[in-house]
Amino acid sequence: MNDAPARTMAAAPRPAPAKAMGRGAGFAAGRSRAALRAVLLPIAIIAAWQLAGTNGSLAGGVLPTPDRVWDAWVMWAFGPKGMGLNPYSGTWLDNVLFSAGRVAQGFVLAMIVGIPAGIMIGWSRAVSGTVDPTIQLLRPIPITAWLPFSIAVFGIQDMGAVFLIALGGFYPIVVNATHGARDVDRNWIRAARMMGASRFEVLRRVVLPAALPAIFTGLRIGLGIAWTAVIVSEMVAVKSGLGYVLWDAYYVGRMDVVIADMLSIGAMGLLSDWLIVTVEHWVLRWRRLQTATR
Amino acid sequence: MGTIRFREVGKIYPGKEPVVALDRVNLEIGEGEFVALLGPSGCGKSTLLNLVAGFEDMTSGTLSFNGGPVSSPGPERAVVFQEAALLPWLTVAQNIAFGPTVQRRGRAEYEPKIRELLRLVGLERFADALPSQLSGGMRQRVGIARALVMDPKALLMDEPFGALDAQTRMSMHQLLLDVWQSLGTTVLFVTHDIDEAILLADRICIMSARPGRITREIAVELRRPRSVEQLTDPAFIRHKAEIMAEIRAAQKEHA
Ligand SMILES: Nc1ncnc2c1ncn2[C@@H]1O[C@H](COP(=O)(O)OP(=O)(O)OP(=O)(O)O)[C@@H](O)[C@H]1O
Ligand SMILES: [Mg+2]
Repeated sequence: MNDAPARTMAAAPRPAPAKAMGRGAGFAAGRSRAALRAVLLPIAIIAAWQLAGTNGSLAGGVLPTPDRVWDAWVMWAFGPKGMGLNPYSGTWLDNVLFSAGRVAQGFVLAMIVGIPAGIMIGWSRAVSGTVDPTIQLLRPIPITAWLPFSIAVFGIQDMGAVFLIALGGFYPIVVNATHGARDVDRNWIRAARMMGASRFEVLRRVVLPAALPAIFTGLRIGLGIAWTAVIVSEMVAVKSGLGYVLWDAYYVGRMDVVIADMLSIGAMGLLSDWLIVTVEHWVLRWRRLQTATR
Repeated sequence: MGTIRFREVGKIYPGKEPVVALDRVNLEIGEGEFVALLGPSGCGKSTLLNLVAGFEDMTSGTLSFNGGPVSSPGPERAVVFQEAALLPWLTVAQNIAFGPTVQRRGRAEYEPKIRELLRLVGLERFADALPSQLSGGMRQRVGIARALVMDPKALLMDEPFGALDAQTRMSMHQLLLDVWQSLGTTVLFVTHDIDEAILLADRICIMSARPGRITREIAVELRRPRSVEQLTDPAFIRHKAEIMAEIRAAQKEHA
C-alpha cells in the first residue's frame, strides 16, 4: 500500500468522545437558567390559585386551594389505613400500583403484538394487503367506544382494563412500526442480501434496527394513550386504581382528592415517558453519535 | 472462477409507460478481467450491474455467472454501492463482519481477516467508529473491505467513487488498483468518468441510452501494474481522444 490512504486518514475527524467534554461551565449555567424559567409559570399559577381562594376554597366553594389539595394528598399517601371516616387514607400507593400494573400489562401486550405486526406489514406486501385494511377500519373507533364491549366480554375485572390499554397502545405502535419498516433504505437490504443474509436475517438485522427510531415514536404515543385508557376503564369497569378513586372522590364531593389524583396521573405519565426515553437513548445511542458529529 | 456472460439480454421496467432500460446486450467478461461500463446518466449501467448482482430480474435473454444462471444476490458477487450503504448502527468492524456473521462462519476464522483488511484499507484505528464518524472516502473503504471479506469471485462496483472529491478519488483508485492486482478478482465497474474508466480497466464498454445498449468496446493498452501517474501517459491521452470522439458521434446520432 502507498501513503495516500494515510493522508486522508490524518485529515479526517477522530472518533468522538472528546466532543462531550468540550461542553464547559457555560453549558451548565445555561441549563439551570432554562430549568428556572420552566418552573416560573407553574409557581405563578399555584400562587394565584392560592391567593384567589377564601377559607380554603374558590369558585363558590367547589375548588379547594393548593394547600388543601396538598393536605389531602399527604393524608391519601401517608395516612393510616382503614379509618372509617376517610376511606382514601393511606391507599395512594396501592392505587398507583394497580393502575401502573394494568398499564404495564396492557402496554407489554400492545408491544408484543404491535411491533412484529408493524414490521411484517411494512416488510411484506402480502401481509400488508391482508391485515392493514382491517386495522385501518377498526382504528377510527375510539377506545372509549370499546368500553361496553369490553365490560360485556370481560366483566368488571382487570382483563377489561388490560384489553382497552392494549388496544389503545397497539394502534400507534403498529402504525409507526409499519412506517419504519417500509422506509428502510433499499440499498441496506440489498447489501445484506448480497452478503448472504436470509430473508429472516434481513428482517432481524436490518429492518428491525432501521425501524427502531419510528418504533420508539410509536411507543411514546402508545404509552400516553395507555394512561388514558386505564383511567377511563377504571372509572367505569374496575373497582380500584387512580381512575376509580378519581370518579369515586368526585361522587362524594372530595375535590381535593380529585385534584391530587389528577396530578398523580400526570406524574405517572411523565415518569413512564421518561422511562421510555431513557431506554430509547440507550438503544439508539448510535444516532446520538451521528448527530453529535454532523 | 468469475466469468460473466450476457446473451441478448433485455430489461424492461413495467409501468404505465414501460422503460426499456436494456436492449439486446451482449457482453462477456473473463476470469480476473477488469471491465468498466461507461455511459451517460440513465443509459442502464446500474440496471446491467443489478442484473449480475441478482437485485433485478431480466426480461429476456440469458445471463450466466460461472456458467450458471443468476437467481438471487450472493456473496460470490460482492457489490460496492455508490454511497457505501453501510449499516449506520454497526461499527466499522461490525459492518465488515456482517457477511461472515450471517454466513455463520467461525469468529476465529474471520476476525484475523477483518484486522488484516482494516490494515489494507488504512482504517485499523477506526474499527470501533460508526460510519457517521467517517469521511466519504473512509466509508467507501469500509464498503470495499466488507466486500473483500467474503472472498468474492466478482466485485460489482456502481459508481463507487462518484461522490468523492478529486484527491480522495485518486487515493481510492490507487487502493483499488493495488487490491485488484494482488487478488485478481473479476471487476465490473460502472462509471461516467472517462479518466477513471481508462485508468482502471482492461476493457471499456461504452453504452448509449434509449434503448440502453453497448455500442463499442475498447481494450485499454496501458501497462500494468498501473498507477495514478499514468493519467498523463501518451497512451492514456490517445484513449481519451478516441472515447470522446465515440461519445460525440453517438450524441450526434441521437440529435
Ligand atoms: N426501478 C425502476 N423502475 C422504473 N424505471 C427504472 C427503474 N430503475 C431504472 N429505471 C429507468 O431505467 C433507465 C436506466 O436506469 P439506470 O439506473 O440503469 O441508469 P444508469 O445508467 O445507472 O444512470 P445513472 O448514471 O444516473 O446512475 C432509466 O431511464 C431509469 O429511469
Ligand atoms: Mg446508476
